[in-house]
Amino acid sequence: MVKENKRANSSDSARIDIQLKAQRLEHEIEQAERHDHDSADDLIHVTINGTEYMSIKGVKILNFCRENGIEIPTLCHMKDYSDIGSCRLCMVEIEGYEKLFAACRTKLEDGMVITTESEKLTEYRKEMLRLLLSNHTVDCMNCPKNGGCQLQELCNQYEIKDTPYAGSRRKIEDKLPKLADNPYISYDPSKCIHCQRCISACNRAAVNHTLKSGRTGVFHTVEAPFGPDWKETGCESCGNCAAACPTGALTLKRKEKYHEWSTKKVLTTCPHCATGCQFYLLVKDNQIVDVEPANGPSNRGLLCVKGRSGSFDFVSSPDRIKTPLIKNKTTGEFEPASWDEAISLVAGKFMELKEKYGGDSLAGFACSRSANEDIYMVQKMVRTCFGTNNTDNCARVCHSATVAGLAKTLGSGAMTNPIYDITHDVDCILLVGSNPEEAHPVVGMQIRQAVQRGTRLIVVDPRSIGLTKEADIHLKLRPGTNVAFANGMMHVMIKEDLIDHNYVENFTEDFDKLKELVKDYTPEKVGEICHIDPDKLIEAARMYATAKKAPIIYCLGVTEHSTGTEGVMSMSNMALLCGKVGRSGCGVNPLRGQNNVQGACDMGAQPTDYPGYQKVDKPEVREKFEKAWNVKLSEKPGLKATEVFPAAIEGKIKGLYIFGEDPIVTDPDTEHIKKALESLEFFVVQELFMTETAKYADVILPGRSYAEKEGTFTNTERRVQRIRTAVTVPGDMRLDTDILIDLMNAMGYPQPHLTASEIMDEIASVTPSFGGISFARLDAGETLQWPCKDKEHKGTPIMHVGKPARGRALLYPAEYRPSQELPDEQYPYVLTTGRILYQYNAAAMTSRAPGLMEIAGEGFIEVNYKDADRLGIKNGERIRVSSRRGSITATARVGRKVSEGETWMPFHFPDSPVNQLTNAALDEFARIPEYKVCAVNIAKM
Amino acid sequence: MERKLAKKGNMNDRMDIALNKLKSRMTSYPPGMCPLVLYRSILQMSMNQSCGKCVPCRDGLVEAERMLRDILNGDATEETPKKLEALCKMISESADCAVGVVAANTVLHSLEEFADEYESHIKKKRCVGDTQQTVPCMTLCPAHVDVPGYVAMVKAGDYAGAINIIRDRNPFPTACAMVCEHPCEKKCRRSIIDQPINIRGLKKYAVDQISADQVKTPKANVATGKTIGVVGGGPSGLTAAYFLALMGHKVVVYDEHEKLGGMLRYGIPEYRLPKARLDEDIRAILSAGDIEVHLNTKIGRDITVDELREKYDAVYLGLGAQLGNRMPVDNANAKNVIPAADFLQAVARGEKIDLTGKNVALIGGGNVAMDAARTAVRLGAATVRVFTRKRDDYTALQSEIDSAAQEGVRFRTLVSFLNLEQDKNDPELIDALWLQPEIVAEFDQFGLVKTEHSSAYPYRVKCDYLILGVGQRCDVADFDSAGIPTERGRILADETCAIRGVDGVFSGGDCVTGPSTAINAIAAGQVAAHNIDEYLGYHHKIICEAEAPAAKPNKCVPTGRAEIEERDAFERREDFNHVEIPMTPEEAVREAGRCLRCDHFGCGSMEGGRCAW
Repeated sequence: MVKENKRANSSDSARIDIQLKAQRLEHEIEQAERHDHDSADDLIHVTINGTEYMSIKGVKILNFCRENGIEIPTLCHMKDYSDIGSCRLCMVEIEGYEKLFAACRTKLEDGMVITTESEKLTEYRKEMLRLLLSNHTVDCMNCPKNGGCQLQELCNQYEIKDTPYAGSRRKIEDKLPKLADNPYISYDPSKCIHCQRCISACNRAAVNHTLKSGRTGVFHTVEAPFGPDWKETGCESCGNCAAACPTGALTLKRKEKYHEWSTKKVLTTCPHCATGCQFYLLVKDNQIVDVEPANGPSNRGLLCVKGRSGSFDFVSSPDRIKTPLIKNKTTGEFEPASWDEAISLVAGKFMELKEKYGGDSLAGFACSRSANEDIYMVQKMVRTCFGTNNTDNCARVCHSATVAGLAKTLGSGAMTNPIYDITHDVDCILLVGSNPEEAHPVVGMQIRQAVQRGTRLIVVDPRSIGLTKEADIHLKLRPGTNVAFANGMMHVMIKEDLIDHNYVENFTEDFDKLKELVKDYTPEKVGEICHIDPDKLIEAARMYATAKKAPIIYCLGVTEHSTGTEGVMSMSNMALLCGKVGRSGCGVNPLRGQNNVQGACDMGAQPTDYPGYQKVDKPEVREKFEKAWNVKLSEKPGLKATEVFPAAIEGKIKGLYIFGEDPIVTDPDTEHIKKALESLEFFVVQELFMTETAKYADVILPGRSYAEKEGTFTNTERRVQRIRTAVTVPGDMRLDTDILIDLMNAMGYPQPHLTASEIMDEIASVTPSFGGISFARLDAGETLQWPCKDKEHKGTPIMHVGKPARGRALLYPAEYRPSQELPDEQYPYVLTTGRILYQYNAAAMTSRAPGLMEIAGEGFIEVNYKDADRLGIKNGERIRVSSRRGSITATARVGRKVSEGETWMPFHFPDSPVNQLTNAALDEFARIPEYKVCAVNIAKM
Repeated sequence: MERKLAKKGNMNDRMDIALNKLKSRMTSYPPGMCPLVLYRSILQMSMNQSCGKCVPCRDGLVEAERMLRDILNGDATEETPKKLEALCKMISESADCAVGVVAANTVLHSLEEFADEYESHIKKKRCVGDTQQTVPCMTLCPAHVDVPGYVAMVKAGDYAGAINIIRDRNPFPTACAMVCEHPCEKKCRRSIIDQPINIRGLKKYAVDQISADQVKTPKANVATGKTIGVVGGGPSGLTAAYFLALMGHKVVVYDEHEKLGGMLRYGIPEYRLPKARLDEDIRAILSAGDIEVHLNTKIGRDITVDELREKYDAVYLGLGAQLGNRMPVDNANAKNVIPAADFLQAVARGEKIDLTGKNVALIGGGNVAMDAARTAVRLGAATVRVFTRKRDDYTALQSEIDSAAQEGVRFRTLVSFLNLEQDKNDPELIDALWLQPEIVAEFDQFGLVKTEHSSAYPYRVKCDYLILGVGQRCDVADFDSAGIPTERGRILADETCAIRGVDGVFSGGDCVTGPSTAINAIAAGQVAAHNIDEYLGYHHKIICEAEAPAAKPNKCVPTGRAEIEERDAFERREDFNHVEIPMTPEEAVREAGRCLRCDHFGCGSMEGGRCAW
């Protein structure tokens, strides 16, 4: 049915993009088939330009033609989001009608005879172009869109050099001001062709509703939020509007610095959150000059402000560390060193410590921001050379509770369903402790799309986040009461008999224990614990349980508690009781934090697991790895990252290797981390920048960023996606895998030099769930979600289909336990921490993007207006925030976002280093710290 | 010199064709347009009408038009409107004939009426915010029903789907099919080609094919545990109840009557809306969710306002305006003087009122007056005479007036009411009314003609029964004393149906606006339901389970509008049976086929182009 696309060319990235597109169409047709068309009657025959085709009723002419290699010009159509048919360029002739039809919005019907090219059509199209041109400032030579302008391209194609018309709108549009106050985006009305793509992008794709229609007299206007009041407009600066604009009217300002034709495009994966958006890096003269979205399976052509504008400034930042650095013990200053020097020092020192104190005195952390191949080599080095399982990654402090919790209950600790599956065509979304609009913005956009289409939304969050404005129900929980909430939900589900008995009976165990436990969690009692309206709890239980398709989506609001693992298990309990696991549009879906935090866990950077969650304490597993790696391995599970620091203070850990993490900023209770690092005998950091943590190192080894290497990231939906070399930043930095391989060899382990692709082959050979994954398949355009057992296996979009991976899923009865530090007289407020849209984690990447810093570059604290009134705190005032562990300042944002007695702070900003305040209380299973609750006091300064 | 009659088919005659087209352009002038553009069009037409004799008109109007164009083109300064005003003042005072005077006055009027729009164009070079052309029928329907959607459903033969699309915004498809004043038809784009779509007629066709209570309402949300008290079981209260129930709230409806329906049951006569048909809507509404009904219960008498507020999470007051006004004259309380609303209610309740052989007089020209007049005819009255002061007082739909006339109702206009003459035999009755002939005078500020007494003598009209169709009000006394703000028989609520200063109490419909149409009351109930949900901290979605079929281009062949015919006047005036003759299937399909699908073609496909909230 889908004929070969004639546009395919030999360029790799273009080829891959086209393949992605083709998959999209197939998927769409499948969807259409599944939902709207059940019978064979819906298969129709049409004739296009004399050739007969078979299609499915309801597919639009333009989409069908494009996928069949028939080009039809358009300037206003935007697949999935806009088919207003305003440019009239896609007009086609249909037999039997005198009137022409806009192909973008006319659906195929059986027997249609369509002509897409004729003399008349060409003449009309030319006339449309002349009319468009008459209202368009033609300064192509100076236009940032030169070469990428679709109006220009069509004018060239139709040989339109100028226009005989004076233009209807010129008079007014030339006088409307150019809006260019937003740091990234500008709007020039004189080049606008009023195709409304930007308005559709903002309202129907990003669903942010800040770009609006207006009018001046008889003309339609675009009210773009980039004028002097840009900060107040609610614009997220995501730039999806600019990406949609066919001309130079609405553009990214940086386009002025390059021409489309002078760049090379490299398809890669976004380095920020774990949504795994696919985009192209645009490279000119070995510099990344821009980012363009690709139609990836998780982002579907969308990007957020970080992905589009925060993904490249840092790569060639002047403060990249460019040579190995060794700290001069006497001066305390870092001094440049050669690689030979650094490698032999590091290898020698670690081996010396191993000799002296044993392998378990050493530890090495991998980085959940780096590639799977890097992470695999870190844990391999720790296990083979250090001779210990003391390896971990920063999932420990974000989603270790998920990994532990879901593995325990379902048998696999990962997101069960794909993003597309849980945001398209679902009846209800239960969103717990997750603010995807800020932390996973492209998922947030897709949730907003779903809600706009009528999906019910239950938001369970202590704050009135953006999505609560659209939520059917908002349960504004007291922080730290998720387990009570979930038990209350289940109490109602059981009491009102809303559970899936068949599923519970056949696929779960310990239902009786759970039933017994939740008996006490009456809505009234839970209402009191959680500070919520019992009615809303009951309704939420009913709404979720009775919805046909309803995913649970959760994030760090569930995991980052001293009861985080139990919180996670409570999520799976709810889904299991309702039989909502292993089905499309359902499941338990943690939104993993960082770009490759899923991969970091998959790759075995965990003290208990080899790659693929193979347990280190299982003899047969260990034997397998001993054979594969040809070395004796420790049988003792290692220390978790959050245990390594106290162990260092106690003197049990002497040497530490940190690959790309910054625990001083990101781990709770900063002072105790500093103390731990100071207690080490030898400390090595492999990094891009001089982070707070790197300052404590004895040796710093400069690695390469995601844009300078080959590799893979695994996104939150277990999808393994490629990153590719776009640039080579000048300096003595080396491929991270090469550094690790050199170190391993220097430490006496004969590790052959392998490319990233070869490392993935090794991963596949030792990791059953990665068995079928290879660069070759990914580069051929396949997108693979593990488990992918062999070369024939297509990957696993939805897990636990048929039955849970564990066989029978465990219903774990978790009693609610309060957070470890509750407010008291001295520290009467609860503090929760989190992320904002414009920054990422320790801000190593985003703080190097000046535009992001301009939009949001200062630390703040959200305070309830009643508390602020009582304390005399004004909005925008700098206040002091203190806990038992420290005291910092932050700008007060007074409002209704947090409840009375509660506060909230982002953790990105060095001017308000909130982790000086947070509590390092740990969860008993995953040892995840309680970032989400500690007691603080706030005061006027 | 030889004289000639005007030549047949002369230029003037031929131009009338074009002028008729202009008329249809005007009737279909879309909502959401810039007023200055309209004024510029008027000015252009005006200046083109100049005969070219006098300077101010022939040259001044052209300059005025140029100034208006500058304003629209963003070339104006703050001085421009002042100059425009001075110029037009000069033209108005110095032009020789009405062509120039009226043109200039029109511009002067615009400067006053649309000062905000002028200012916005001069300062910001654009219209006042949110000016956007939207689909006319959806926009003008107060409840914003997806009209093209259900018309397309009718065309496709999916009548249940049509009812579901209507009910997404209006749970009274049947009642509105019978009695809606159909503001949706006012600016129908089809008028550009021929005449508006008969939207109400198509709705009636749909509910005639399958009754509303046979079409399942959308699946209600799960129970929320919240309970809303609704006072008034009329169109507004029941609409609120319907949507609140779909959102999962429990609703308790109080009504003082024996049955639900409010003015739809007790105000609109059986021959226009058979009560059995109204019951279809009500049954469907009650099936939507958890709705409990307390009839024969009057707030203030059986339960207090404070009790209501205490008992329910929120309260909606949809009381209607059921008290008929009387006139402040002697004998206004005589037994044979009755407000139209009370008269219609009594008939609806089944009270025996025999008007056989009686001379009935009726004051007022609104729809209620027409209902009363036609009812009086059916009750056997010998004569039914309607008196109004001026033509403008006939606010009833023209079709109602026509039907009444056909049924023998007589009309006399340009009379003012003087006094009622007491019956000499029975002081509790009147036997005549005195009327003063009037003549028309100037227009008032709202553009309505005023009258003054004529020099003709007053005259006496013999009258056995007088019906007063002079307005209704709401029984607000008990609400007023409970702290609900009221003014002249109306509850004071804003456009969100919230009552300022009274937390959790909402109100809408006739009790807020004064007597109005069912669809306005329905719109208020819908708005209130959503805002009550928001007030309680929710944002519940109502899920419409029907989707309109794909639009196909219309060939725009001018085609007559299928009107709904009524039974023969002499036959129908003998009974209370429904007067309308159903459309035939071919009529309905052809009529539905006239729809231009403005939801798909034109502005309807743009973001926000379907309707302006």
